[in-house]
Amino acid sequence: MSDKMKNIIDKQQQQQDEPDITNLDDVMQLVGFVVGDEEYTVPILTIQEIIKPIEFTRVPQTPDYVLGVFNLRGSVIPLIDLRMKFGLPSVKQTDEARYIVMKSGDEVAGFVIDRLTEAIRLKKSDIDPAPETASGEKSIIEGVGKQADRILTILKVDTLLDRDF
Amino acid sequence: MDEFQEILQDFLVESFELIEQLDQDLVELENTPEDLELLNRIFRVAHTVKGASSFLNFDILTRLTHHMEDVLNRARKGELILTPDIMDVVLTSIDMMKAMLHFIRDNGTDQGSDDIEEIVLKLDAITSGTSGGSSASTAPEPEPEPEPEPAEEEEVDYSDMSENEIEDEIERLLQMRQDEDKARRVAKIEAGEAVPDAPEIIDEPKIEEPEPVKEEPTPAPKPTPVSTPEPKPTPTPVAEKKPAPAAKKEVAKAPAKPAASVEQTIRVDVRRLDHLMNLIGELVLGKNRLIKINDDVEERYEGEEFLEELNQVVSIVSLVTTDLQIAVMKTRMLPIGKVFNKFPRMIRDLSRELGKKIELEIGGEETELDKSIVEEIGDPLVHIIRNSCDHGVEPIADRVAKGKSETGTIGLKAYNEGNHIVIEITDDGKGLDANILKDIAVSKDVITEKEADSMGDKEAFTLIFRPGFSTAKTVTNVSGRGVGMDVVKTNIEKLNGIIDIDSEIDAYTKIKLKIPLTLAIIQALLVGVQEEYYAIPLASVLETVRISTDEVYTVENRSVMRLRDEVLPLVHLADIFEVDRVFDGGEHTYVVVLGLAESKIGVIVDTLVGQEEIVIKSMGEYLKGMEGVAGATIRGDGGVTLIVDVAALMQMAKSLKAKPAIAQADTASKKKEKPSDYYVMIVDDSKTDRSIMKNALKPLGITLVEAADGVEALNILKSGEHHFDAMLVDIEMPRMDGYSLAGEIKKYNKYKNLPLIAVTSRTTKADRMRGVEVGMVEYITKPYSPEYLMNVVKRNINLTMEA
Repeated sequence: MSDKMKNIIDKQQQQQDEPDITNLDDVMQLVGFVVGDEEYTVPILTIQEIIKPIEFTRVPQTPDYVLGVFNLRGSVIPLIDLRMKFGLPSVKQTDEARYIVMKSGDEVAGFVIDRLTEAIRLKKSDIDPAPETASGEKSIIEGVGKQADRILTILKVDTLLDRDF
Repeated sequence: MDEFQEILQDFLVESFELIEQLDQDLVELENTPEDLELLNRIFRVAHTVKGASSFLNFDILTRLTHHMEDVLNRARKGELILTPDIMDVVLTSIDMMKAMLHFIRDNGTDQGSDDIEEIVLKLDAITSGTSGGSSASTAPEPEPEPEPEPAEEEEVDYSDMSENEIEDEIERLLQMRQDEDKARRVAKIEAGEAVPDAPEIIDEPKIEEPEPVKEEPTPAPKPTPVSTPEPKPTPTPVAEKKPAPAAKKEVAKAPAKPAASVEQTIRVDVRRLDHLMNLIGELVLGKNRLIKINDDVEERYEGEEFLEELNQVVSIVSLVTTDLQIAVMKTRMLPIGKVFNKFPRMIRDLSRELGKKIELEIGGEETELDKSIVEEIGDPLVHIIRNSCDHGVEPIADRVAKGKSETGTIGLKAYNEGNHIVIEITDDGKGLDANILKDIAVSKDVITEKEADSMGDKEAFTLIFRPGFSTAKTVTNVSGRGVGMDVVKTNIEKLNGIIDIDSEIDAYTKIKLKIPLTLAIIQALLVGVQEEYYAIPLASVLETVRISTDEVYTVENRSVMRLRDEVLPLVHLADIFEVDRVFDGGEHTYVVVLGLAESKIGVIVDTLVGQEEIVIKSMGEYLKGMEGVAGATIRGDGGVTLIVDVAALMQMAKSLKAKPAIAQADTASKKKEKPSDYYVMIVDDSKTDRSIMKNALKPLGITLVEAADGVEALNILKSGEHHFDAMLVDIEMPRMDGYSLAGEIKKYNKYKNLPLIAVTSRTTKADRMRGVEVGMVEYITKPYSPEYLMNVVKRNINLTMEA
């Protein structure tokens, strides 16, 4: 446990030490999570909150990936399984599964993800637009972020929240 | 500019309020043209609007209202009898005024609104037409007239007033005077007279107002000599008049004034009320939740002392919440008279247009209902009443031939009935003929002949609500397009209302609209389908019946049942909402009979849970408009329950084919080849106990799955990951105990034969009995030997192989 803590503290320290990321205008803050085998990110500002899985109610006449609706402190919010939305087989939720409640304008929905990874700060200059094969109106990819040793897929929340059935 | 906007807003609000009452007054006036009180009231509206609009520089509106005022003024003096023809012109001009006010509201100016010249000419013709004969000059004549009016009307007992009130009163009288003077001046200008202070028209109020005014002075900015030959009294300061003949009115009016000021009102933005209503909704949900928790706690800590206190608090909170809800609901309530008001005018116009004599009898206009409903109910009523005038009430000749009185009567009545308001529209016209209706419907392809044959009278009456259906041979201005009644149906459905028609040929037609009082918080019937729950608006529920499955018949691929003398189409809620039928329905089933607008349907559900107050919540943009679902609500346990959209359900039911009542779940299990193909679940809250059992069963080589309590066990079972061959169940467990778990499991068809083995330290006979009752096959008491447990399990899963 203390190792983990140390890691986190180190990481935070490291991020704070990086001088060129202090200018907020040039930085995008992202939250990373895993669905299936892939890691995805969404801009932190599109996230209303992240909660542990709670009970939901099925809504008839909807596609598989719409699990139903759940009660978030008095609001009824749709719940979407990202695994199924991405065409992955559904598996039993683990303890690490979370609902990420994302919003864009008036639209709000919860998304089931397998687990969270971390909050990431990325310079805007390190973000490229989505590759041409995956761009366009309907694309759910906003852009691709480059970080030292890996590539981050940034999802387009607007499209995720668009009803496509 | 902002200040101007504010004034403009006030002006519009006031004007709309004034003209609301106007229509009714005018129609009444036509019947009693001598009613001075009424005339004065109408005159004042025109006058107020004129005064304000001139101040706001709405020249066109000012011009129109000015001419209206002229006509009304003459009528008030008794120089003009308001014949229906004159009334038509006046009414048209008032319509024009309304239109202009709407135009101003939308555009902020009256420039470019409808052309008023024509109507102004007509109004002028009326004014001059009568005045020409009665008096030599037109100009001086109207002048003295406005004067007696304030005297008679506004006389107030000043002795009862406080200083402030007197100040206000003076201010008001002063203002009125100025307005009237202004009016006179305008009149004079128009009459070609030279008025020296003409440009002051707009500025005048500003100049006059600051003038120090004390006890009843009458400002006399009147340049015209007031030598009147008329017998009516010349205008005099109000103070002088106090002891004068007006005293009679004074006595009557004096007590009324202060009383009216006690009943204070405040204008509130509807959005604020909506917000308040939303908050109350949240509170109601909180209350439901509290009640549910209270019940749970009660069950758990039976007999504890603090329970009583908790009980008290919960009842107080729920009582206050209910009262609060009613109170807030009341703030949103409007008398239905607001809608009814426009009908006397409509009937008048229609009867003139159609050449019939029709009288409107209104009752219960004080009945109140929610503002949002008041707004929705207007259109359907217009259509129904137009229909009654056109198709219901016969032409005069026909009526006389039938021995009825020349004048047809249309009744419009509202009253409360439980949580509903009922609006009844009756006419004593020719009534509906079921056979003719059917013939027309068949000829217009609205129904098939076969359908027509099986239709009862009542059902036939409802044909008039089908789109494209009309009994009129020709399309008239008034009706006959076959659209109106369809609008009625759609709007009433939207309000979750019910339509009922009754009629007798040549006697009457009665249409009854039954509408829930409010839309935001509703009573709902909660029903269960398999494991899901749905809320059905109670307004649409006519009754619930319990029937045996033999009573369900299949006709042309549709399920139906006989309910008393009716044949009721049936649909299973599970089919509508695509619920897998895994539970055994049993021999009996519940049917919820739903009625909406004019149709009925029976909905089969598995359980009836009860009645609950629910708050309709939207499911957001993402899931908006899902077929069959009107919204969602949050239940006492914090879960979300979907609300059935009854109108949509009826539509969906039409396209559903009947399915066999109970679909057998296919549970063909895979062939077991090795001991590890056998699955046994161990349900115990103690980890130690689970380990003991696991160790005891290890030698068998079967696959073991653990669960820490009933809820977890049920979830594992339902997830369907494994097909279990037996379960070892502890009785004493948190969340869900062994008995309840067994009960839940036995509800499923496919687990009917799953062996449940109780493993417990409860040893009394009663415990054993209960175990048997809920379907446990074996009862093992702790402590036990590993061999014994192994043998019991082996026996129950028919394990013959060796590990």
